[in-house]
Amino acid sequence: MSELEDIKLKALLQQMKLEKPGPNFSAMVMNSIFEESNALEQIKAQRILGKGFWIILMLFVLLTLVVYAMSNAGVQTDGKLEQLVPGMENGIQSFINSMGTVPLSVAGILIASSVLLFIDRVISANTKLFTR
Amino acid sequence: MEQKDDIYYIEKVLAGQTNYYSYIVERYQDVVFSIALKVLRNREDAQEMAQETFIKAYKSLSSFKGSAKFSTWLYRITYNNCISELRKRKVHFASTDDIEIKDEAEELNLDGIPEENRARVIKDAMDRLPEDEYTLILLYYFEDQSVEEISKVAQLSESNTKVKLFRARKKLYTILNEMMKDELYTIL
Repeated sequence: MSELEDIKLKALLQQMKLEKPGPNFSAMVMNSIFEESNALEQIKAQRILGKGFWIILMLFVLLTLVVYAMSNAGVQTDGKLEQLVPGMENGIQSFINSMGTVPLSVAGILIASSVLLFIDRVISANTKLFTR
Repeated sequence: MEQKDDIYYIEKVLAGQTNYYSYIVERYQDVVFSIALKVLRNREDAQEMAQETFIKAYKSLSSFKGSAKFSTWLYRITYNNCISELRKRKVHFASTDDIEIKDEAEELNLDGIPEENRARVIKDAMDRLPEDEYTLILLYYFEDQSVEEISKVAQLSESNTKVKLFRARKKLYTILNEMMKDELYTIL
């Protein structure tokens, strides 16, 4: 094909009228962009670690302290109780021993739930970011 | 308003003045929409895809380095979007060879097309081209993109782009030839 023909073809093609999208196309695109920007700002502003996470964490720390205090100090009855009610001190001691494992279990549950809560918040925050 | 180049608007958008992106949308919406329409053959789907293309381009605007023309970068996003959409629909973005290229195709006298019919004739001829060849011709002749730029858009080698462009041009000439003959028969 000669260069002249190529120039003619170009001139001819440039006379072609392209298909046009709807009249509000540009406005629609801009609205979508603004909506997405706002949603993104909201997600960024949203705290990943909410109130629930901190409450559970505080409870976990509290329970850990209680377990620590109980295992170190124990309950000092000084034998007075044994004098009043024979066999009572042993009973209390075994009760406290069995109760001693409860805070530990609760603490375990709390730490697991706080970790799960944290993972859930991180994943949901990232999903919102990626799907937009 | 005075027409500024793409980089001017891109810098404004990147500086936080999102409104300026509308100038870019308005400048390229027809080409992006035409390619999408050619591929999807449905105005609503094409409009949706064109919109997606502009949003995708906006989101990745910070990754545009300016080493290529903005239009090349945008058309590449458009082209990739089209390919992805066709893959979803399990249709291939490939040239159909139902138009037989004839030797006399090159002998067409473009001046022979009556001036008042030129825009319509060329549009009808372009509509009969397969989507990949339509895109190549549109970018090369209408959008004035170089072979190198088109090869980036279509992710082909430059030599392959040249060959495809040559075939597309021949096909266009064949179609125009047939259309001219049909028009002559109608007149006679």
